[in-house]
Amino acid sequence: MRRIWKIYKLLAAQNLKRLMEYRADFLTGAISFLIDQAIGIAFIFIIFTQIPQLAGFTFEQILFIYGFSQIPKGLDHLLTDNLWCVGYFIVRKGDFDKYLIRPINPLFHVIAETFQVDAIGELVVGIVLLIYAAPNAGLHITVWTVILSIIAVPFAALIYTSLKIMTSAFAFWMKSSGFIIQMVYGMNEFSKYPVTIYSFPVRIFVTYIIPFAFTGYYPSLYILTESDPLFNIGGVIVVSVVLFAVSLLIWNKGISSYESAGA
Amino acid sequence: MIYAEHLRKEFQKIVKEPGLKGSFKALFKPKKETVVAADDISFHVPEGEILGFIGPNGAGKSTVIKMLTGILTPTSGECRINGKIPQNDRKNYVKEIGAVFGQRTQLWWDLPLQETYLVLKEIYEVNDEKFKKRMDFLNEVLELESFIKSPVRTLSLGQRMRADIAASMLHSPKVLFLDEPTIGLDVVVKDNIRQAIMKINKEEKTTVILTTHDISDIELLCDRIVMIDKGKNVYDGSLHELRENFGQTRELIFETANSSNITEEQFRNGLDLGGNDLVIESDKNNFKVKFNSRKLPVGEMLSYTLSLTKVKDISVKDADIEEIIRNLYRHGGESDE
Repeated sequence: MRRIWKIYKLLAAQNLKRLMEYRADFLTGAISFLIDQAIGIAFIFIIFTQIPQLAGFTFEQILFIYGFSQIPKGLDHLLTDNLWCVGYFIVRKGDFDKYLIRPINPLFHVIAETFQVDAIGELVVGIVLLIYAAPNAGLHITVWTVILSIIAVPFAALIYTSLKIMTSAFAFWMKSSGFIIQMVYGMNEFSKYPVTIYSFPVRIFVTYIIPFAFTGYYPSLYILTESDPLFNIGGVIVVSVVLFAVSLLIWNKGISSYESAGA
Repeated sequence: MIYAEHLRKEFQKIVKEPGLKGSFKALFKPKKETVVAADDISFHVPEGEILGFIGPNGAGKSTVIKMLTGILTPTSGECRINGKIPQNDRKNYVKEIGAVFGQRTQLWWDLPLQETYLVLKEIYEVNDEKFKKRMDFLNEVLELESFIKSPVRTLSLGQRMRADIAASMLHSPKVLFLDEPTIGLDVVVKDNIRQAIMKINKEEKTTVILTTHDISDIELLCDRIVMIDKGKNVYDGSLHELRENFGQTRELIFETANSSNITEEQFRNGLDLGGNDLVIESDKNNFKVKFNSRKLPVGEMLSYTLSLTKVKDISVKDADIEEIIRNLYRHGGESDE
């Protein structure tokens, strides 16, 4: 474990150095990200100029959900961004070879290789929104809500990571699965708003099939109303652990089907 | 040390008709075809040997190397290296091997070389003292000093290859797989790398499997060669044996005052040599006779030719290895007896 941590630190430090080297690239990434976030928040503002409440939630409460959803998203983005590359080209070009001839877990190796600082944007936006919205969202802060919400964040991030592992692993059979990752990952949009605004099938879909609702709405609902911690927080943990186990299974199966590429 | 037994690897390929229409058809009604990249490949490499693993492009060399290194899972058959099956115990197995794939680097593109080695040091759990010793040794044989502080992406191909070989050797592996380590390099760098491979093999008894298209690599480095073609073993033996078995072709070059009256028919009629056994090439003052020396002793060919025309000078060329291999590639291993 200490060795793993040491390798991770070394690689992450290299990533930061690289960042300094490609400043323009980093700035472009950060700016486009900010624009994306600004649009999302502006959208909520516009809705609330028309209506006082959305599915029973006030403006601040919606902002709170939105803000909370950005934190696990950002955490996953920060740590596991290289999975996108597995889906898009690492497998297709045969570059996955090198992970298989090193004596560390290939999944860990792939993940440790990038430390995506762009994600700081999501984390900052998330935290700022929480701080801004919390005082007026009518929430009742107790020791339990604080502890459980802190516990929920890494598990919610694990939902993102698991979905990315799973979808990127499809590349082992299909050679390229970038669009599948994008399609599945894109559904995280649903996590920013209360699931009660969606139709029944969509609600079932984002709760049980691609369970992004557990990365934003459900844990936020618990924090805001203290209702049903077993489902709203317990659900996050169970869903993420199950999803992670399934994703590891698919990933390992994928590796044994890996075909490399002609030299 | 290395045992490959009946290795077979199949790939599923989707056959597409050309054009966009074909692509659509393949999307909805894929027509699958099984491609056999390696078929019943068996060989054995004892410890400390340098084995030349050769074959034409697309013969399946890389596929076999990738099965041996644990990257690909064989469809059937088994390989055992140092008593380990790569696919079963990957993590422990790869600690004992090093691999260089000449066509693609395993180094981190943006990292200075030095830092790359530091990361690898942790990955392979090499302790500080060993690491220092090892770096000194690798520096000496591969001359890394001049570029060790540069990011990998700025290295020339020759530098990068040396850097890659050093990276694969950092943890003192018992077996080294080199897949085209001299590809695209100039003569000096090639020589450099050959020296390094020889030195590593000699000093550490590292077993080496080397694939290459460069005949000199084989002549200078390899104790033995295994040749495959279209996924099948076609030859396994020493270079010397290869010369003996397949190198019966001799080349006689005659210099004459005028060779325009020499025709292939004269030879064919006078001697009992069939289609593949004889080739005559002639220009104004020279003509070249290539023939199978098993069918006809060199002396007889000489006296027959001398009886045909007046000869000023004669030179005899031994079978060269490149020619033999070209022949093997063409005939798929049936010796031309």
